[in-house]
Amino acid sequence: MKDELVFLGRRLAQGVVVVWGVVTTVFLFRVISPTNPAQLMAPDDATPELIQQIEQDLGLTEPVLNQYVYYLSGVLQGDLGFSYMTNTPVLRRIMFALPGTLELAAAALVFAVLASIPLGILSAMYRGSRIDSTSNLVSLGGVSTPNFWLAIMMVLLVSVQLGVLPTSGRPIGLVDALTLLVFQADPNGLTSWVAHMILPTIALGTYFMALLFRLTRNGVLEELGKEYVLAARGKGLPESLLMYRYVLRNSLTPVVTVTGLQLGGLIGGSVVVESVFAWPGLGTLFIRSLNVSDWPMMQGILILVGAGYVLTNITVDFVNAKLNPQVELA
Amino acid sequence: MISDRTRTSLEREIRSNTVATIGVALLLSMLLMAVFAPVLAPHDPTDQDSSRNHQPPLFFGGEESETTRMIDGEIRTVTESNAGTLAHPLGTDSNGRDVLSRTIYGARTSIIVAFSAMAVSLVVGTTVGMVSGYYAGRTDSVLMRFVDIVLAFPALLITLAMIGILGNITVTVPDPLVASGLVSDRPTHAVIPVTITLAISSVVWVWIARVARGEAIAAKNEEYVMAARTMGMSNLGIIRKHVLPNSITPILVLATIQVASIIIIESSLSFLGFSGTTLSWGYDIAAGRDYLATSWWLSTVPGLFIVVTVVGINLLGDLLRDALDPGIQRGGL
Repeated sequence: MKDELVFLGRRLAQGVVVVWGVVTTVFLFRVISPTNPAQLMAPDDATPELIQQIEQDLGLTEPVLNQYVYYLSGVLQGDLGFSYMTNTPVLRRIMFALPGTLELAAAALVFAVLASIPLGILSAMYRGSRIDSTSNLVSLGGVSTPNFWLAIMMVLLVSVQLGVLPTSGRPIGLVDALTLLVFQADPNGLTSWVAHMILPTIALGTYFMALLFRLTRNGVLEELGKEYVLAARGKGLPESLLMYRYVLRNSLTPVVTVTGLQLGGLIGGSVVVESVFAWPGLGTLFIRSLNVSDWPMMQGILILVGAGYVLTNITVDFVNAKLNPQVELA
Repeated sequence: MISDRTRTSLEREIRSNTVATIGVALLLSMLLMAVFAPVLAPHDPTDQDSSRNHQPPLFFGGEESETTRMIDGEIRTVTESNAGTLAHPLGTDSNGRDVLSRTIYGARTSIIVAFSAMAVSLVVGTTVGMVSGYYAGRTDSVLMRFVDIVLAFPALLITLAMIGILGNITVTVPDPLVASGLVSDRPTHAVIPVTITLAISSVVWVWIARVARGEAIAAKNEEYVMAARTMGMSNLGIIRKHVLPNSITPILVLATIQVASIIIIESSLSFLGFSGTTLSWGYDIAAGRDYLATSWWLSTVPGLFIVVTVVGINLLGDLLRDALDPGIQRGGL
């Protein structure tokens, strides 16, 4: 127990340093970017005096170090500043877009894990069989297909040709859909949510599924080749017990690690997938902000995603250590 | 740089592995396509002609329909068949441009960005990794914290942020094949998307640096390095003469595999409209989206070329990994 606390403490301290670095980097992005926000915010016929006034109001005439201290202390208090374009608080806007991206990433994760791990185990157990070769081929395709193209091809096939499933938008969030179901016994919200989720989920999750499949298959194959498996079989341990209790448990460590590492990739990937499906999430918000050089918005998204990634990885390390006593808490 | 033993094991692997050979062949044909685009493309990829727009690929289409056309200054209704023709085997786009030619030219953008971004990343990443791993201590922890910071951002988000900082930089260079007079009626200049190359390098060097560091740590504890140190060789000399040559193979294997990720990121950025050139696979996929219901081939064809290229790289990567088994793990987007 004490070891665990020390481990957690040290990882958290490292994490704090990285998050501080993330905030600093993101601050520097804005400083070195060539856009002048005052110019962006001012009306087209603004006088130089007005532009200077706006610069002063934004604190841009202050020395960079002062600006940095303001920004950092703001972030520490949960204040990510105001959008250059709409002048609304960045955090509020992000919180509005966050559920869309989180639901999508979580659904893609669940889809990828549920599809890849059983297939990976089957492939390894029946190495060289038809199941194995088919799955290998599909996973090669999966890691080689850009998610936005897969998305468009699915829209072409499923929506345009077959005329089923909607092609874009997110008319209702999961929370609202569930509220509707529970309090008004109206399942239409949930049906609509599911229908709109299917294509984006597959588009985002496929690469990840293919990656996890390869890892699972290789992990199980490696584990099955170890001597204790032979010994266990020799003494007549039931195959299912051997698989579940020992082989899977030992071979899933890299799968858990990569799952954690790839969460960032899922968020990154959702930028493009969201743009295909006109999905109102962080990615859409980021692209829109990039097109108008709305740096406070981009900074806020980067900080949130970066900090989320660091936290996830600490959690993953901890879970791994719990799952596999061989991984030392160090 | 590659030892005899490595070469033998590579040769054995290539001979025994037909699937990987297919991958190498696919990749080579993409490379040839990119280099010789002006010769191989049947048409000028930018040549517009609205009288032959939305032609389907060969063997598709064939329905007759009535359309209005401007003919000799008059608007007339004519009956046209939209069958695919040999002149445009992969069809034409909404402006009547030849899809095959555009796709062949599109390979150039992907290949140029992939190669130059990987070259930049290899130089920066290997240098940082070598220094970090060899000197260890404080240098190492500072550099590795920096690597951690870059890794905390999803690759695509950080490349997009870099695009916001760098703006849209492109370099236009004369196409050597056209300039030499070998072919005419092709674009005289090629656009090199500098911004996305640098933006992608800003992430990829980190992937290289991590592996280079690991290799440097392993190599520096070898006896010959200690011997060199005892003999008074300088640190930089040791890195150059001993550590780097012994680490380079796994670094290059990782680099090969990561070219696949670069091509996917490049096509994503082009798809989102940030590449600064209109001759790229991602750009054409995006442009074809508006005509999904009527002209399915517009988005389909360039995407297939991306998939084929990336499959080729992945097969080559698997081959290299099996042959050399440097025990590296695949990074991700």
